[in-house]
Amino acid sequence: MTTETSTIENKDDNKQTNSVVVEMQHLKKSFGEKEVLLDINLVMNKGENLVILGKSGTGKSVLIKCIVGLMEIDDGKLLLFRQDISQLKAKELTELHRKIGFLFQSGALYDSMTVRENLEFPLKRQVTKVSKKEMDELVKEALENVGLSDTIDMTPSELSGGMRKRLGLARTLILKPEIMLYDEPSTGLDPITSKEISNLILEVQKKYHTSSIIITHDRECAKLTANRIIVIRDGVCAAEGSYAELEKSEDPWVRSFFE
Amino acid sequence: MEKIILEHFQNRKQAEETVPKNIPEVISNTVVDKFFLEVYSLTIFTARFFKEVVKPPYEFNELAKQSFLIGYKSLSLVAITSFIIGLVLTVQSRPTLAKFGAESLLPVMVAISIIREIGPVITALIFAGKVGSGIGAELASMNVTEQIDAMQVSHTNPFKYLVVTRVLSATLMLPILVAFSDAVGLFGSYVAVNLKGNVTSYLFFSQIFQSLEFKDLFPAFIKTFFFGFAIGLIGCYKGYNSNKGTEGVGKAANSAVVFASLMVFIIDMIAVQITSLMQN
Ligand SMILES: Nc1ncnc2c1ncn2[C@@H]1O[C@H](COP(=O)(O)OP(=O)(O)O)[C@@H](O)[C@H]1O
Ligand SMILES: [Mg+2]
Repeated sequence: MTTETSTIENKDDNKQTNSVVVEMQHLKKSFGEKEVLLDINLVMNKGENLVILGKSGTGKSVLIKCIVGLMEIDDGKLLLFRQDISQLKAKELTELHRKIGFLFQSGALYDSMTVRENLEFPLKRQVTKVSKKEMDELVKEALENVGLSDTIDMTPSELSGGMRKRLGLARTLILKPEIMLYDEPSTGLDPITSKEISNLILEVQKKYHTSSIIITHDRECAKLTANRIIVIRDGVCAAEGSYAELEKSEDPWVRSFFE
Repeated sequence: MEKIILEHFQNRKQAEETVPKNIPEVISNTVVDKFFLEVYSLTIFTARFFKEVVKPPYEFNELAKQSFLIGYKSLSLVAITSFIIGLVLTVQSRPTLAKFGAESLLPVMVAISIIREIGPVITALIFAGKVGSGIGAELASMNVTEQIDAMQVSHTNPFKYLVVTRVLSATLMLPILVAFSDAVGLFGSYVAVNLKGNVTSYLFFSQIFQSLEFKDLFPAFIKTFFFGFAIGLIGCYKGYNSNKGTEGVGKAANSAVVFASLMVFIIDMIAVQITSLMQN
């Protein structure tokens, strides 16, 4: 009996550690004199939606840009898929980065390309070549996923903010990333569109079993999408918990995010 | 290295803020600092260009697309300006030459000034205004809206894809545009010659080609590559390193034109010195 429970526990333990996809230990990042991230410790598990809250300018974007390799960390450890990135060769690191998708705050659609060319861009940039037919199918599927099939021949300037963000999401998802990083997916959108985006995030989680970090100021978005929430203040993780837990936090500053 | 230099400038700035100095010295110091900082980072940018341009993979598709766009964009403007310049130059030179009874030299004189100097410089200035500012604004707005970051996340080296292709296109297209501009300018001159008097096109052009020498054509042709390179590079530099903010776009476009036009004159001056040295 006792042995059985212990093995089960062991199994659970194993599963726990195996399923960590991003881990940060004492991560530091500064720009010149300005220290942005002081001591960040966090763990993201496979399949979970982790929401990061924090005031503007606290370094939330910097944090996820470090994960995807757009910025380099100054100090501390960053583990992707349980591998310390400082120990990896450039090629191996690129391979890991290929499994990570990033949705930029503005959608970051390429203005000089049509919607179709935007979606084809990441496909053409892969190592493995994709045939024209496959490419058409993937583009079609990606557009259907976000409900924008009829925009295929438009240019980004003809689209609304919400559509741009959904297309940015479609372009990111076309490579089926294992980790998704969302930088303020609902900022600048009306409540209805921002709810649509939140629902898309949930769909993505269900359909592709992605693990996601979602940066947001939007209480509704956090409530809908979060499995777990981390609040960042002054360069450190100030609080962690579920929406329900943090909503009732002792700390009035933390609570203020939920009012 | 870069960090050390930047820190030096930061420390210096702080020192200036705390220690009161007489004002003119502070201003001149910061302006001089800024200038050298700019020269330094442009040098780094240029070095990076030469490093990336030889390293595969090469972005041929984008290079072809940019060359087409860059050439096409300035074609009509170059045509109109060159025609007018050729015409005006001829009309205005006629009385002076007539005074010395040298009216028959008109075609040759105008042709030499167009081919040696006016064609390349005017085309380069138009190119700086149209293409240099366009590149500056485009890259700056891509920078502001995170399109450059997005490219990097898609495993595309944005420097190669955006900067290298544009600089190469500008370098290759400007000489072609200058040749086109020279031709249109000469045609303008031919029209002007025929406004008064009557010269057949055969006589006009054979007179010009007989008196043109290799030393008129070659240096003028070579320097256009440098014009194109400088304009492309400065446009890219200003756009790629622009401030993140919407005001950064206008600033990048504006300073690209100013800086590139100035550079055109500086290169022209150096080219003249070198040619005259070589011809002695
Ligand atoms: N490339 C950069 N160079 C210098 N400072 C930067 C850079 N990127 C971000 N910062 C600074 O880092 C801080 C955090 O920025 P950011 O992560 O964008 O904040 P947010 O939490 O709103 O996303 C800001 O104060 C910003 O000025
Ligand atoms: Mg941000």
